Amino acid sequence: MIRLIAKTMRTDKIFKKYILYDKLNWALWLTKSSLIHGLPSHITSPAAVPENQLLNQDERVQNAIKHARFWDTTEPRNTLLHNLLHLCATLQPTHPAIGRRILAENYSLAASWKRGDDLFQVRGQNGLLHCSMDPLPRVCGETEVLETSDQILESFYPVSPTIDLQQVNVYKEEINCSGFREGYPYPHAHTLYFLETPDSNSKLRPEQFRAKMIMFTFGNALARAHKLYGSVLEHPITVQAVGTNGRIFQFLVFQLNTTDLSEDDGIKNQVWLEEDVELYDFAKVRPLIKRKEVKVRIPL
Amino acid sequence: MALKCLTRTLRSLTLSQPALLSSQAAAQPKLGAQVPSAISLYRGFLTTASLEQNRTLWKNMDKYTIKPMGMKKTGGRDHTGKIRTRGIGGGHKQKYRWVDFQRLRYEPSKEGRPFEEKVVEVRYDPCRSADIALVAGGNRKRWIIATENMQAGDIIKTSAVIGRMAVSANEGDAYPLGALPVGTLVNNLEIQPGKGSEYIRAAGTSGVLLRKVNGTAIVQLPSKQQVQVLETCIVTVGRVSNIDHNKRIIGKAGRNRWLGIRPSSGLWKRKGGWAGRKIKPLPPMKSYINLPSISAN
Repeated sequence: MIRLIAKTMRTDKIFKKYILYDKLNWALWLTKSSLIHGLPSHITSPAAVPENQLLNQDERVQNAIKHARFWDTTEPRNTLLHNLLHLCATLQPTHPAIGRRILAENYSLAASWKRGDDLFQVRGQNGLLHCSMDPLPRVCGETEVLETSDQILESFYPVSPTIDLQQVNVYKEEINCSGFREGYPYPHAHTLYFLETPDSNSKLRPEQFRAKMIMFTFGNALARAHKLYGSVLEHPITVQAVGTNGRIFQFLVFQLNTTDLSEDDGIKNQVWLEEDVELYDFAKVRPLIKRKEVKVRIPL
Repeated sequence: MALKCLTRTLRSLTLSQPALLSSQAAAQPKLGAQVPSAISLYRGFLTTASLEQNRTLWKNMDKYTIKPMGMKKTGGRDHTGKIRTRGIGGGHKQKYRWVDFQRLRYEPSKEGRPFEEKVVEVRYDPCRSADIALVAGGNRKRWIIATENMQAGDIIKTSAVIGRMAVSANEGDAYPLGALPVGTLVNNLEIQPGKGSEYIRAAGTSGVLLRKVNGTAIVQLPSKQQVQVLETCIVTVGRVSNIDHNKRIIGKAGRNRWLGIRPSSGLWKRKGGWAGRKIKPLPPMKSYINLPSISAN
C-alpha cells in the first residue's frame, strides 16, 4: 500500500476560507507551465475574417443569449453553451474540419505524474469535451519552447505545494486513461468546456476555477501523450479549454512540451489564458406586475 | 430510546427465568397464565435528571483542525449544575479556534529538523485576549498565539537545537531557553519540555529570561514570580500581541455583558483582611525540574 497524493476538486472538506490554493501559480507549479496572458494570435485572428463568420452573426448570438437567459427553464442545463456550439457547428459547409469532431459528456479522466517525491493525480469528470480525429497543431515553435526552459517556477517555501491537496492511498501507479477505449474514432482531445455548477456548496472562486481548467486540460494532454508516445514526448500536444459561468468566459490553450515533470528546471509547458471575457454587458429581467401578480418577465 | 431497550431486555430476562421469581409468584394468587404475572413483576427505570452533563464534551476531537468549532458556555456552573464561579454568563456567542500551544510540533515525516512556517493571517480571537495567527508550513496549517509585530507574510522559525553560542532571535521565532541570550523577552513558556505552553499567553505579556544555570533556565513571569525550568523547554520570542488590551475602556455595563461578565451583587459588604494593598516579599522561586537531588532538599 503506497501513500500518495492526489488532487482534490472537492473543497467542502477543507475549511474554505483558508484554502491557500487561491492563485494560479499553484496550478502552474504542479503542471510545470509558464503563463502567457492573451490567446495566441493565430486563434483570435480568424474570428475577424468575414468568411469565417455566420450569417446574421450578431442577431443569432443575441437570440441564443435571450433563449438561455430569459426563455429557458430553471433546470440544470447549460443552454447558452449548447446554443453557441450549435451556431458554430452550422459553419460546417464552409469548414469541413468541424465534421470530424464530436461532443462527449461525462467521461472519466485519469492522469498521474511524478513531481519531486510525490505522485499527483487528476481524476474526475469535468463536463463536456470536443474530441476530434485529428490532433491540434502546435502553437509554439521549437525556439520559443526552448526559451521557456530559462523561466523559473515560483517557489512556495516554506509552504509545501501539496498543502490543501487530498492524500489518497493508491494501489495502481501510473494510471493514465483519457476516458475512451482503444479504437475510438475521435481520440484527440480538442476543446474542453467547463461549466460552473449552480450548486452553491462547491462554488469555486474565479482563480480556483481557472486552476481547475488548467489541471484538467493538462490531465487530458498528459493522458494523450502517454497513449501516443509513452514516457518521452516527441511532438508537443495542444489542448484548448473554455470555461464559463453563463456570463463570463475564460479561454485557455495548453501546450504540453514535456512529460519530464520531476525536476523544476528544463522545458516548461505553456498556458495561454484569456480571463474574464464578457459575452454581453447585462441581461437583466424586470417582472411585469399587474394587480400585484407577476405576469411576465420582460428583458431590459 | 436506550431506556426502552434496557427495559425491554430486562423484561425478556424476567420472562425467560420464571424460576427465580418463584417465591414472589407463590406469594401472589395464581390468577392467569405465567406471562401476565411475570409482566407485573418487572420494574421500569426511573431517571429524574438527564444522564448527560453539559460539560466540555464539545471539545472532544482527536484530529486537529483549523475550522472554528461551536462552543458550549458553562455560565459558571459545574458538573452538579450549581454556580461555582459567580459573575459568568451570557455574552456573545463564540466559536473556538483550536490553538496549537505546542509550538515545536513536527510534521509526521519531518522529525527532528528546525522548520519554518509562513504567517497567513493574524486575526482576533473571541476566546482570549491575545490575537491568533494562522501559520502554514509544509503540509499543515495551525493557529498559534501571535506576537507583537507579527504580520501576514512573515516567516517564523521553530528550532529545538541548543548551540554553544546564543542565537540572535527574531520576534515570533521559537527556540529552547538554552539557545536564547539572557535578557530576551519571551512568551508562551513551557514548564515541562514537550507539554505545550501554559504560561505567559495573555495579551501584551512577556517574561524575561534572567539567567541560565547548568542545564536549567530561570524566567521571570509577568507577576514577577521567578520560575526555574529545564533549558530544553521551548518559548517564543517577543511580547504577545494586542498590547493595548489593558488600556481599553469598557465604557458601559452592556459591553461587560457582551463579554460574558455578569454584574456582581450590589450589596455593600464589609471588606475583610484580604482587601487593601499588600506589600510582601516575592515568593520563593518555583522549580519544575524534578531532579532527585532537588526533591531531597
